[in-house]
Amino acid sequence: MEIKRRDFLKLLGGISGAVAFSAYGCNQIIDIPERLIEMAKKGAGIESWKNTICGQCPGGCGISVRLIDGIPVYIKGNPIYPVNQGGMCPSGHSALEVLYNPDRIKEPMKRIGLPGSGKWESISWDEALQIISDYMIKQRENNKSHQVVFIDGSEQNSLMKEHISHFMKAYGSPNYYQYPSVKNSSVPFQLLQGIEQIPSYDFFNTKYILSFGSNFLEEGYSPIYYSKMYAHLREETEARRARFIQIDSRMSLTAANADRWMPIRPGTYGALALGVAYVLIREELYDKQFVNKYTFGFEDWTDKNGQTHLGFKSNVLGNYYPEQVSEITGVQSETILEIARELGINKPSLVLGDQGSADNTNSTFSQMAVYSLNALLGNFNNESGLSFTDQPPLAELPEVKVDKLATIGNKQPPIGLSQNSAFPFTNFSVDSFIENVLADDPYPVSALFLYKGNPLFNALNHHDFAEALKKIPLVVSFDSFLTETSEYADIILPDHTFLEKWDEISNIPSVGFTHVGIQQPVIEPLFNTRNSAEVLVDLGNLIGESVSNALPFENYEQEIKFRVEKIYRSGKGAIISEGLKGSWLEFLHQRGWQEGEYNSFNEFWELLTRNGGWWNPIKQKKYIKNLFKTPSGKFEFYSQLLKKKIDQIVLSRGEDTPQNRELLINSLNISARGDKIFLPHHEEVPVDEGIPLYLTTYKLLTNRNGQSSNQPMMQEMFGYTNRKYWSSWGEIHPKTAAQNGISDGDWMWIESSVGNIKVQAKVHPCVMRDVVAVPFGLGHTSYGRFAKGYGINPYSIVKNKYDVINGNSAPQATRVKISRAT
Amino acid sequence: MKFLVQLILVVSIGAGCMLAQEIKLPSNPLKGRIVFEEKGCIKCHSISGFGGNIAPDLSREHYYGSFLELASIIWNHIPKMNRKYRELKLKRPSFSQSEMLNLIGFIYYLRYLGEPGSVSNGRKLLSDKGCIVCHDVAGSGGKKGPDFDQLQQFASPLYMVQAMWNHGPAMQEEMRELGMKYPSLNGHDIVDITSYIQQATIGNIEIRMAPGNPVNGEKVFKKKQCHNCHSIDKKGDAIGTDLNTIDLQKSVTEIAGSMWNHSPVMIDYMKSESITWPEFKGNEMSDLIAYLYFLGFEDEPGDPINGEKFFVDKGCIGCHEAEVGIGPELSKMKRFNSPIRMIQLMWNHADRMDDLLEIKNEEWPIVSTKEMQDLYAFLRNVTKQK
Repeated sequence: MEIKRRDFLKLLGGISGAVAFSAYGCNQIIDIPERLIEMAKKGAGIESWKNTICGQCPGGCGISVRLIDGIPVYIKGNPIYPVNQGGMCPSGHSALEVLYNPDRIKEPMKRIGLPGSGKWESISWDEALQIISDYMIKQRENNKSHQVVFIDGSEQNSLMKEHISHFMKAYGSPNYYQYPSVKNSSVPFQLLQGIEQIPSYDFFNTKYILSFGSNFLEEGYSPIYYSKMYAHLREETEARRARFIQIDSRMSLTAANADRWMPIRPGTYGALALGVAYVLIREELYDKQFVNKYTFGFEDWTDKNGQTHLGFKSNVLGNYYPEQVSEITGVQSETILEIARELGINKPSLVLGDQGSADNTNSTFSQMAVYSLNALLGNFNNESGLSFTDQPPLAELPEVKVDKLATIGNKQPPIGLSQNSAFPFTNFSVDSFIENVLADDPYPVSALFLYKGNPLFNALNHHDFAEALKKIPLVVSFDSFLTETSEYADIILPDHTFLEKWDEISNIPSVGFTHVGIQQPVIEPLFNTRNSAEVLVDLGNLIGESVSNALPFENYEQEIKFRVEKIYRSGKGAIISEGLKGSWLEFLHQRGWQEGEYNSFNEFWELLTRNGGWWNPIKQKKYIKNLFKTPSGKFEFYSQLLKKKIDQIVLSRGEDTPQNRELLINSLNISARGDKIFLPHHEEVPVDEGIPLYLTTYKLLTNRNGQSSNQPMMQEMFGYTNRKYWSSWGEIHPKTAAQNGISDGDWMWIESSVGNIKVQAKVHPCVMRDVVAVPFGLGHTSYGRFAKGYGINPYSIVKNKYDVINGNSAPQATRVKISRAT
Repeated sequence: MKFLVQLILVVSIGAGCMLAQEIKLPSNPLKGRIVFEEKGCIKCHSISGFGGNIAPDLSREHYYGSFLELASIIWNHIPKMNRKYRELKLKRPSFSQSEMLNLIGFIYYLRYLGEPGSVSNGRKLLSDKGCIVCHDVAGSGGKKGPDFDQLQQFASPLYMVQAMWNHGPAMQEEMRELGMKYPSLNGHDIVDITSYIQQATIGNIEIRMAPGNPVNGEKVFKKKQCHNCHSIDKKGDAIGTDLNTIDLQKSVTEIAGSMWNHSPVMIDYMKSESITWPEFKGNEMSDLIAYLYFLGFEDEPGDPINGEKFFVDKGCIGCHEAEVGIGPELSKMKRFNSPIRMIQLMWNHADRMDDLLEIKNEEWPIVSTKEMQDLYAFLRNVTKQK
């Protein structure tokens, strides 16, 4: 049946229409079970609403689902959920396309052809679990439990993390990883402040925001939370409004909403931050009191052996003067002076860094440079500054009693880390993992469990990753859809969609208050799927008591209740309610009142699930000195943690000699030497000489990690900023286009040393000269009818490069050339 | 003009007295807090230190009184507020009727919520009131009553009072046997005692209560049959005190203290009449007291004749005169069916009015509560035809 685009859009205007849509033979687009269609045919029914947490991205928005006779027909933002305050991104709005997607995996499947061949047969749950548990039992009995690896690609900060971790610990494997790893991204903060957490930023009380590539309106951890904060920023009268400057190689959505967009060469954000620091220090615009009292390594210093070390100030004043920085960054010297002065004068001011400054080989050092500006401004423990959110008072899961077999397994070296000390602060390096699997180093991987995500699509070195997957004897995927990665699975255990399952989502990184959202089923599972959390419990039961004891709950809902009861007993925070603020909650608590009416845990749980979550806007009072968990107990411009780690690695490789040290620093691909290594500094990004353009990739709100490609509405909206739908494009500056004989709308080749891709050119001045910007998200070779074959994946021509310290991918570190395609 | 005034007078006479129940009991008086914050009141005023410091702290300097009493306080400081809006470059907010009601209801409710207690005073009170004869606290005291050190559920002062109330008759018996005087609880006694116990207890559970819901409280009042003894219509024909005649503009714990203090008499009477002692569970006591507290929110009916005089004397008529005035002609306006509408319109037009008065070198009209009540009675009747 041919559907015109216009008709398609009309029909997708509302899912209630879509129920009828399916009823009239269009189940190629919306696949709604027959029983629901029969119910819908009866005419108008009873309306109800149910609150839950969106699972479309890690943003953790509260949503309200409209149900007619129990059938979900519409989704909107939960107006009282404090993270998104009723706001929603397009992907969340169209999440019913996930629930009713015609390409959902409806029952367990076993691969019958070669890996990636797409040949599957249905099997029962019992059979699937039996195959897997038999294999796992055998591995354990042969002391190979550590060879079982679990990669969690859900990106959700949910109870599943603890749940899987408990399962793996009890089973006896040290190899549970999250990919992408939030902990990797927190390394810059760990090195300077000693805290492995992503900070949150207070937009409400600031007068000036300087963002180094942080595309928080689209690519942040919680874009809707930041959209709401940004909206607040803009609500004020013009005279009171904070000024916002975005530094980025391309005019992102965030840049387009800023007061000023400053283009910059990719990979040079750290240098610019240090150029700004130069002006703040030289013109004495920094917070001297804070710097003197609470920082380490600002001035040159002498260690206990009498050796003098370079301080941040000397390094900055000597090497990052505006003219020098302008050479590196392409930002004019006068502009550097101007923004630094504005930042220093308009206090309280705030500095952010992410994406642009975080997606390169030098991202840790760049982020350190950016974050150092906040230290210069004294932005800690005060309004308008940045803070680290307190942990919610959830109960810990009961401690795992590890048996003898598991103890042996857990002691084995992790396979997700480099065997030659590369990426010294990584929590999981996908590059090292692939390398280790292919080399059986330090041991072979005998089974890989993949929970959601699509690492093969998201990783840079697709080919090697695919080879690694082929090499693993048993690959099990827990997912709702067949992805590029799960094409290599031996068994697929279909998971519920987030609208059919329980979970507990807490403390989204960078959100400025403690919170716990309850994800709950809004409808009974449509197909023969199961909550992966409960599948793990089933597997544990089949493997044996020592594993099943690790998760001693009747079901996952009970596990969540067990955790949440401690919140109830603590009396802290409040169940979310309309417009509640921290100061008001504190007022009530001081007088013995609570927000919301409940008199027992059951009533508390009932209200909690009805409203959607709990939060505590009251921050624990902290002394400034307690904010820093570094060796000096201060903010460390000179990172002693990094120094200690490097020293340890040198010693682990032999004697600490200058030669050995030089060898190590070289092998880590760090170009700085001496004390500069441990200070925020600019590391030049190694690139292919002679190739003229930088390739930058970015993610759109409609399809952040390529996850929404299987939603037709998100394909329809993919390029909402430049009217490109169901396809990819490459953005270039008019002068770059002219130099290469390319006009707007032409097809062009983008070629790197890895390969080439063909896209349509989008020529406009909102991209730095010498840059080609291509959106990430399309170019699937699997993932269902709406995703497969549309657009290109720019990572297919990105070189296999990583940040030298935390091991995160560096998709901005590739040079390309372009030519008009004929 | 004369005709208009005469018309108004005719309509007004005898019509201004039946104003009862124009303001519905709120089910959540705290809704106004959102208005307070979203409309920016919090930028100048604070509540117990949370908020701005330009204007008075509304929980420290209590503004008591009925709806129109509070409204008159707001009205009288409008010019000062307008100056602050300009100085701070803030947009002056306008209000819908429900926002205005919620805001004033919230300000009214603040006192009900009470104040934090004093730990040291609480410790002294426990001893002075003889509580430690029966209750063990911090390792010393009697064993007859529950051990305060072991209390597992504690935080809310009202939670404690509710528990005490429920076992009041048993406690009275015990005290009689011991020859002890029944302790009275006044002022901050309850919150102070609670604060001390909260410090002393080793219980790790914090249980609070929700601020009262007056609508539910009315139901509790009926369900517990309080109305059998207490009237609220000021007729004074009930056995107990008419609750509308006593000062209930106190904090919840002070009102609870008053209830507690009159419980011995009540216990004796109920025993003699074989009436079951009313026990409270869940949030009932909080709701009941919220209901009683809100009895004073609705205004006394005003005098429309005085209101009309005020309207003329203060010069309102200068703008709202038929056909010649700048403002809308009142007789053509939609009926004022509640004082909320009057206050909402007054607030929303006060910005322009302030400018006009300044231009004309005229003073801002200061309005007392009584005048506000009279003005409402008058305006209600003026607009009655529509």
